[in-house]
Amino acid sequence: MLTTGKALKVSITVSEGATYHGAAAYSSILDFLFYRGVSGATVLKGVAGFGADHHLHTASVVEVSDKLPIRIEFVESQEKVEQLLGKLQELAGSGLIEVQETNVVKPPRHSKEKAPAPEHLRIEGKARMMRIYVGESDRWQDKPLHEALVQAMRANDIAGVTVYRGIGGYGAHRRVHKEKPLHLSRDASIMLSAVDTEEKLKGFLPVVDRMVEEGLVVLSEVDIIKYSWRAPEVDVE
Amino acid sequence: MKEQFEARMLRIYFGEADKWQGQPLQEAILGKCRELGLAGATVFRGIEGYGSSTRVRRERVWKLSRDAPMMITVVDTEAQIEKLLPHLDGIVGEGLIAVSKVEVIRYTRSETKAKSS
Repeated sequence: MLTTGKALKVSITVSEGATYHGAAAYSSILDFLFYRGVSGATVLKGVAGFGADHHLHTASVVEVSDKLPIRIEFVESQEKVEQLLGKLQELAGSGLIEVQETNVVKPPRHSKEKAPAPEHLRIEGKARMMRIYVGESDRWQDKPLHEALVQAMRANDIAGVTVYRGIGGYGAHRRVHKEKPLHLSRDASIMLSAVDTEEKLKGFLPVVDRMVEEGLVVLSEVDIIKYSWRAPEVDVE
Repeated sequence: MKEQFEARMLRIYFGEADKWQGQPLQEAILGKCRELGLAGATVFRGIEGYGSSTRVRRERVWKLSRDAPMMITVVDTEAQIEKLLPHLDGIVGEGLIAVSKVEVIRYTRSETKAKSS
């Protein structure tokens, strides 16, 4: 299993039409890597290129070329790569194999494994609640302001936010917002409520400054009693 | 324009069917807030809940005469909220009033707009 730190990245370039014992060379290489337990490999198809024989191959509509470059890449520990290189040279035929040193920052994880709790989901005890009041028809860069605020909060790792639509009320301009049936273009008041640590919410305030032209931000102290979360299912394979 | 100050947040909980002198309670409360010049108020309708009388209030599609839980939030300075509280005693027959200390940032579009408090 690949771990964080030094590793080797192997790139094998072969021609699309190259074969090994009757099967496509790239697929033989991929099968070999798969059954030898390599933690992951990717096959990339080039759109043009030339090789040792100096013939330029391009993907043109009129001419179907089977000589386009195919690159197979994988990252493994030095030990593992050394075990595989002998057979790979045989499989690659006239292709190119290169090995470069690399650094694994985050090893891949099996999709069924439970992810560790992300930093922004660990909040306990004293926290802050931020409520933002805006109008439903307020806009920011061509989208509803409350939707833009939710996206901005997500991007800033705010632990969570809930949007409420008021059914009546009045605000700064003494406009009366009232829900009427059969009235589609309403301008109700919208309240967004988010709970997170003081630093996180204070850090988000400059963003609110930029986005909210008219509105109210209310901050209050709260105690977090319970905040549980469910590990998301990751579909990376 | 941006102002930052300490304020109070008032929350009033009651039922949608509640009335005061024949007028829906939320309208009576909103009217009183405007009359006293409170900065703003917002009415929210809950979708389910129960109160002191332990009636489960719930929104039903086929039932028009619903009695959903209602909440009005008012944010203003301590002085303004104090001014409103005695009036609410008369209007809210059955319900809950909660006040909390909050920090407020207010954004207004024009510089000329007078502070409402």
